[in-house]
Amino acid sequence: MNSILTVQLLVAALVLGALYSLIALGLNLIYGTMRLLNVAHGEVVMLGGYIAYGMSTQLGLNTAYALIPSMFVSALLGFATYEVVCRPLLKKEQLLARVEANSLIIFFGVSIALQNIAALAFTASPKSYRYLDQIVTIGGASFAAYRLFALGVAGAACIGCMLFFRFSRTGLAIRALLQQRTASALVGIEADRINRVVFALGFAMAGLAGCLVSLTEPISPFGGFSFTISAFVVIILGGLGNLLGSLLGGLILGAIEVYGVALTSSNWHSIIVYSVFVVMLLWRPQGLFTRRTT
Amino acid sequence: MKINQVVMLAVGAFSLLAAAAGSGRADDAVKVGFSASKTGLFASASVTQSNAYELWAEQVNADGGLSVAGVKRPVQLVSYDDQSNPSMAAEIYEKLITSDKVDLLLSPFGTPNHFAVVPILERYKFPMVGSSAASVRLRELKPGNIWFPTSAFPDRMAVAIVQLLQAQNYKTAAILTVQLPFALELKKFLIPALDQAGIKVVASTDYPADIKDMTATLTTIKQAAPDAVIGLTFPADSLLYMQEAREIGITAPFQMLSVGPTYSFFQKRFGANANGIVMMGHWSPHQTAWPKAKPFFDAYVAKFHERPEYFDSALAYMSAEITTQAVARVGLDHDKLRQDISTQTFDTINGPVRFEGVENITTPTMLMQLQDGEAQIVWPKPVASAPFKPKGAWAD
Repeated sequence: MNSILTVQLLVAALVLGALYSLIALGLNLIYGTMRLLNVAHGEVVMLGGYIAYGMSTQLGLNTAYALIPSMFVSALLGFATYEVVCRPLLKKEQLLARVEANSLIIFFGVSIALQNIAALAFTASPKSYRYLDQIVTIGGASFAAYRLFALGVAGAACIGCMLFFRFSRTGLAIRALLQQRTASALVGIEADRINRVVFALGFAMAGLAGCLVSLTEPISPFGGFSFTISAFVVIILGGLGNLLGSLLGGLILGAIEVYGVALTSSNWHSIIVYSVFVVMLLWRPQGLFTRRTT
Repeated sequence: MKINQVVMLAVGAFSLLAAAAGSGRADDAVKVGFSASKTGLFASASVTQSNAYELWAEQVNADGGLSVAGVKRPVQLVSYDDQSNPSMAAEIYEKLITSDKVDLLLSPFGTPNHFAVVPILERYKFPMVGSSAASVRLRELKPGNIWFPTSAFPDRMAVAIVQLLQAQNYKTAAILTVQLPFALELKKFLIPALDQAGIKVVASTDYPADIKDMTATLTTIKQAAPDAVIGLTFPADSLLYMQEAREIGITAPFQMLSVGPTYSFFQKRFGANANGIVMMGHWSPHQTAWPKAKPFFDAYVAKFHERPEYFDSALAYMSAEITTQAVARVGLDHDKLRQDISTQTFDTINGPVRFEGVENITTPTMLMQLQDGEAQIVWPKPVASAPFKPKGAWAD
């Protein structure tokens, strides 16, 4: 048991969990407000990674300077995606009835397009670079500084988002849309404008996460899919459309992956993660942090 | 200037242009087909193979064209994306043969795609030299239309690893295996070979290819304190190992990551910390006994601004070299090509290559090690370009 209660494992679980939370928050935001299943979310993560890589290797800037550009470019992509792809989908009555299925197919296409554009632009070779590579010792455990940087930035971004949803006018409008889409229109919330903000914000969070992911693993055009899958597991854990649930679900998935392997072995990694996923769907399809509605 | 002088000048200029272009007119081009895994699971790895083909075609054309039984003709590459899907690779090779009517074939990427196209080669009796495939099951394939220049067969690779460990007098080992076919096949041969040599396996674990954290697994390995950590890895997880082994402080003098360290990104990412890592591979530009090795390396770096992958790029280029030499001797006739490839010895960037059945019987199975940023062959000793060095301490 003592080998489980170590700072090393705790920080590993927190780093992984914070990245999952940040990625899942953006995915859940878009799903919760518009019922659009963005399976191209992982590709936006990769886009953020490429921006960080490009700024580091081509411009010689450190990753801290890439955080804002990654978010900005990803937000622009989100805005464009909403205007070009999603707005027509949400406007037509006959399409609205099948919005989840349609969005799944459309975003699958977007995902393939983004992968291939990235392959043409950057080649399919994996890319990696160095940033904050020095070892830092905390509580007798050693960590590369970039992992702590990723934890700090992802944690701050998640908390910042939650404060935005709690205290800002736009954030409250987003939450209103999440809870009662029809009623929110009655109280004067302009759904179309909020949808644009949601897409930009959701993509920006994925872009920021990609920037941080590029520190911990090689980026390649086809590496985003595993993040989309993890984000779906997180939102099943936390509840579809539940933003705080996404944040906590990400931390839980990080803990399940790290401590699950510590208690068994890495042979069991996928079995544990997907068993949790299936059990959640059967036992609490509304997620751990959402009350069941009748 | 009189009109006849103008005509003479024009005729002269035309003749010079024709001579400059050699005998290679575009409609004379030798069409060389292959499928590339530009998207899907193999996409990140297969680009190093496609690059090697592209370099080969460019060099051949710059040299006046491919010698087809003494007549030089330009090479035209015809390729399609197989999406890392073996059944699509099979369809592409059928299309290349029947619809595009290519003159020659180069191989697809990876073992599953090789297996998928073999029935097509058999059906149309179309010879092709393979490249990035490695499995003991390759030996079960009917010889005649496919040959494999690789010497990294899992059973022989397992023996080579054990021999190197024995030569260093290492007694204990931990094994990490990514859950992908080649790595699992290698592990199947490695564990009995270690056991037979009296090297105790103190830890062995598998993990999925998309794993995001290895802290718990590497903590267990550190506690077991083995002499050797043998990672049967692919590129993404090899990077994860390096990051977390350094944090946790794994100090085994032998640390191997089977696939990954020879990718260009690896050395850029880890610099001096990559020194001492052992990996699979049987080609190095530093082996002076192979005079074509360094020029290939230099040409690849000049064209693509990164190093070739020492396994896949080298094998792809070797397969093209073998095809080139056979075509120069016997032309494009399939029966003659089959006969030539099956019986002749080929001069490649990896030294001489000769086939018996589907296997390359001249190139020994080798292990390589990163030393001062360069990949050196360290085993077996007769072909080593440098002696093995125990992995030193991680830099802070």
